[in-house]
Amino acid sequence: MTDKNKQDPRLPDETFEPYEANRRIPLPVYWIAIALAIWGVVMLVQTSHSTLLADKERAALDKQDVAANAPVGAEPAASGKTVFNANCATCHGEFGTGSVGAVPPLANSDIVKAGGAKLIAQIAMRGIDGPITVNGTTYDGHMPNFASALDDKEIAAAASYVARTFTGAKDGVSAEAVAEIRKASAGQDPWAGGAELAAATPGLPAQPSAPQAAADMVQNADVATLVSQGAGSVWSCASCHGDQGEGTQTVPRLAGLPAAYIAKQLHDFQQGTRENDSMAYVAKALTDAQITALADHYAVMRAPSGARPSLDGDLARGEQIAREGDWSIGVPACFTCHGPSGFGVAPDFPALAAQQPAYVAHQLAMWAGGSRHNSPLGLMAGIGKALNDADRRAVADYLASLPPVPATPKVELTAMRSDAQPAKETTNDQ
Amino acid sequence: MTSNHPSDTPPPGPDKPSRGQTAKRVIYAVSGGLVLAVLGSLALDYGLAPGWLTGQGNTPTPAAKGDQAKLFTPPDVSTIPDDDFGQSVRRGMAIFNDTGTNAHDYVGNALNCSNCHLDAGRQAYSAPMWAAYPVYPKYRSKNKMVNTMEDRIRGCFTYSMNAQGSPTGGPPPYGSDVYRDLQAYFFWMSKGLPTGEKPEGAGFGKIDKPEKEPSLDRGAEVFAANCAVCHGKDGQGQKDMNGKQVFPPLWGPESYNWGAGMHKVDAAAAFIKHNMPLSEPGKLTTQEAWDVAAFVDSHPRPKDPRQVNGMTVEDAFNKLHHKHDGYYGKTVDGQLLGGGASPQSAGAPQQDGNSGG
Amino acid sequence: MNRYLPLAITTLAILAIATLFLVIAPGMQIRGQGAAPGLQPYTEAEARGREVYISMGCVYCHSQQPRATAQAPDAERGWGRASVAGDYAYDAPHLLGTMRSGPDLMDIGDRLPSQGWQLTHLYQPRAISSWSIMPAYPFLFEHKDKAAQGDVVVKLPPAYAPETGVIVANQEALDLVAYLRGMRHDYAPPADGLRDDGYALMAAQAKSKTEAAKSAQ
Repeated sequence: MTDKNKQDPRLPDETFEPYEANRRIPLPVYWIAIALAIWGVVMLVQTSHSTLLADKERAALDKQDVAANAPVGAEPAASGKTVFNANCATCHGEFGTGSVGAVPPLANSDIVKAGGAKLIAQIAMRGIDGPITVNGTTYDGHMPNFASALDDKEIAAAASYVARTFTGAKDGVSAEAVAEIRKASAGQDPWAGGAELAAATPGLPAQPSAPQAAADMVQNADVATLVSQGAGSVWSCASCHGDQGEGTQTVPRLAGLPAAYIAKQLHDFQQGTRENDSMAYVAKALTDAQITALADHYAVMRAPSGARPSLDGDLARGEQIAREGDWSIGVPACFTCHGPSGFGVAPDFPALAAQQPAYVAHQLAMWAGGSRHNSPLGLMAGIGKALNDADRRAVADYLASLPPVPATPKVELTAMRSDAQPAKETTNDQ
Repeated sequence: MTSNHPSDTPPPGPDKPSRGQTAKRVIYAVSGGLVLAVLGSLALDYGLAPGWLTGQGNTPTPAAKGDQAKLFTPPDVSTIPDDDFGQSVRRGMAIFNDTGTNAHDYVGNALNCSNCHLDAGRQAYSAPMWAAYPVYPKYRSKNKMVNTMEDRIRGCFTYSMNAQGSPTGGPPPYGSDVYRDLQAYFFWMSKGLPTGEKPEGAGFGKIDKPEKEPSLDRGAEVFAANCAVCHGKDGQGQKDMNGKQVFPPLWGPESYNWGAGMHKVDAAAAFIKHNMPLSEPGKLTTQEAWDVAAFVDSHPRPKDPRQVNGMTVEDAFNKLHHKHDGYYGKTVDGQLLGGGASPQSAGAPQQDGNSGG
Repeated sequence: MNRYLPLAITTLAILAIATLFLVIAPGMQIRGQGAAPGLQPYTEAEARGREVYISMGCVYCHSQQPRATAQAPDAERGWGRASVAGDYAYDAPHLLGTMRSGPDLMDIGDRLPSQGWQLTHLYQPRAISSWSIMPAYPFLFEHKDKAAQGDVVVKLPPAYAPETGVIVANQEALDLVAYLRGMRHDYAPPADGLRDDGYALMAAQAKSKTEAAKSAQ
């Protein structure tokens, strides 16, 4: 051994046995480990806090629902007022004055006086489609039905509020009676104007006769097949949009949209100015005549609402955006352009009431992102960008809570189609 | 473990820790870790951490516009008190938003106050009511006297709402509840603003003079491209299926008359520049705003109610309009403007208009 | 190598803690969760379709777990509300998936309820979306000269249709589509349903922040 060591001192000692030095772990490693541990504990605490918070919010929401459905007897006037202001005042006005030439008044209305709260509940449950005379003035009445938007207690409260506040009636209507009315109204068409109402309720003032279901629209047999079974390479419309055109999730409700709007969208799908692969596939296989016929088919369709708020949106915020707008972010009220109560204004502003919430929120996001860009003047692009994710969900959920829009009257559409040519000439003249 | 073997035992290193050193190291390690955790959370708090790391993204703060910040924000509608005063405020708001219904006897066209005073009279640069209320009473050269708020609203009814065509044929009489409720609404809205000072956002704002003389031809193009979607190709606005006017008519018998401020091209241009198209103010260039304002105001509309007692348009022009930047008394397309608008002279026949204009 | 004992103990302890938090505790939480009220058990065709879904490997590209609105805009995409544990009561094994090469399918039956669409899309996704990266499944279909009684004919655009005869869906394709159309979870989830609420605090903070900013104006 000693010989070897002496042979070449530069070489390592061959007798050396390796061993693990007891080297310390560097301090920074400890620091990082301890910081991570602290972070982990903080996250744990925060998550449990978060879960508690979410639980509490859900419980509060449930309680709100319970409160909204509280027995009417408890405080009928107050809750009736709330329901009225949220659902009826958009058209009839906060003071029941209606709107001159368009919406009949409720205040001191001879019809309300004669029929009382019960008649109001009957009207609310079915809606109106036809002329109605109130206090001597005849209105071309188009009122949605609230059967899908309000429950028995809400309708009872609002109807009682209207009768008591605006005509000084003593009696309201009970939720049980409204439940009966709901049963009797199930599956019924809207009241065909004041004449049908007067026939059902004795004591109403004279009413104009409803126009005979004038010249039924030329029903295209081709279109009926297209809607229910599809044709050639095209799937049936109803297979996604539903038998009643009520839509589902990101598939929009079509029932009651302006015919011109539906036609424009189909043409846009055809030309690629609105992007949706499935709809482009369908639209490219349609002829112009088929598009017009389909648009008419859905425009006159009156279907119950298939939409429910489902995006966790803040309904109060949604109502604010829809009815008042939020000018601090440059957003006007939806109803300024889409019509009071979101009925739509033909031809460029589609109805929004009872539209599927996922569809609305999705489209707003697409306007914002630029993947939908076919609105007139790009108006919706600016609005989509101004709304953040929570606002989009809020307004979509609010619109989903509204009663479905009254459909375009068949008579009007037929008239529109028959004088479409002359109308065009007039505009060209100018 | 056979730790007795000599080779297993590490030679006593120079850094074999003693008791005191271990404690010291523990303190260093723990305090270092704490400092790191605190620094990390501070960085997170002050938003120094990038968005992809926190998963929060860059949420834009609402209305970060510089000039918006200076503007007065009127109180929220939900704060209207639930008492008799509040009822009056609410009635005033109802008149403001649906004037034809709630002040039916004094309105001679299809307009509402809120058609020009946007957002129920709250929107800055669309003559917000909170900016008007604190500066009245004031002297106005239009009628050469000190006007109270009631006088001023009376003027609005006379000209913008064309009261001459209303069922009563005139504006609400002095002392009418219409004035009372409207003033209650304006007063409530102006809470907190100093009296006698014109706040930022008053009126329609300023607009520069156009580079070129306003042209009706260019204006017609701007109108077709930017306005017709809502106001209709014929400028008569649009109604919903119930017949409720959703978009206001801009000329013709159902619009403001020749005495209204909006008939002056400079006023209309300022309004358009700062408010139209709705939700896209500033989209039109200054020149386009002037052109389209001229186009709109070069159409027939109800006559100036001050033109009475056999006064001709020419007399009225010399007496009332010669200082104005408008089309009153001028001839456009072979038609002398100012004589009033019959239903036929509007772009399209109105089938079910309100009581004539 | 020395000190085997402490090393082994530390290793086992770490493993035990991980098992406790990732396996045992969640297991205890989920044990009490029954089927969500409103959830329908699978029909026979749907159950068969589920087997096809598994055998075709759909799960490798499609998840079945929409996230809460605080975490991802899944509801806005139409992918449905955030799922709760009770939604998976009849799924053994669950098909949650880990990848989203394609869209989430938890609510596909609500979003695209059309049998015709689903069949066309399975036969040739490119017939609908030229950019789709989903594989085609032509082997689930048959080329026949003439459709027999009860055959479901697939609607195809001219570019993808056979020159003669028709394309008919076979039983596997029909089952798979039945399963997909049955994927509807549009009922209200139970209030106490187990769910991921981890982002609720962050969402609440963000909300109060914007509100504060607004009121400061």
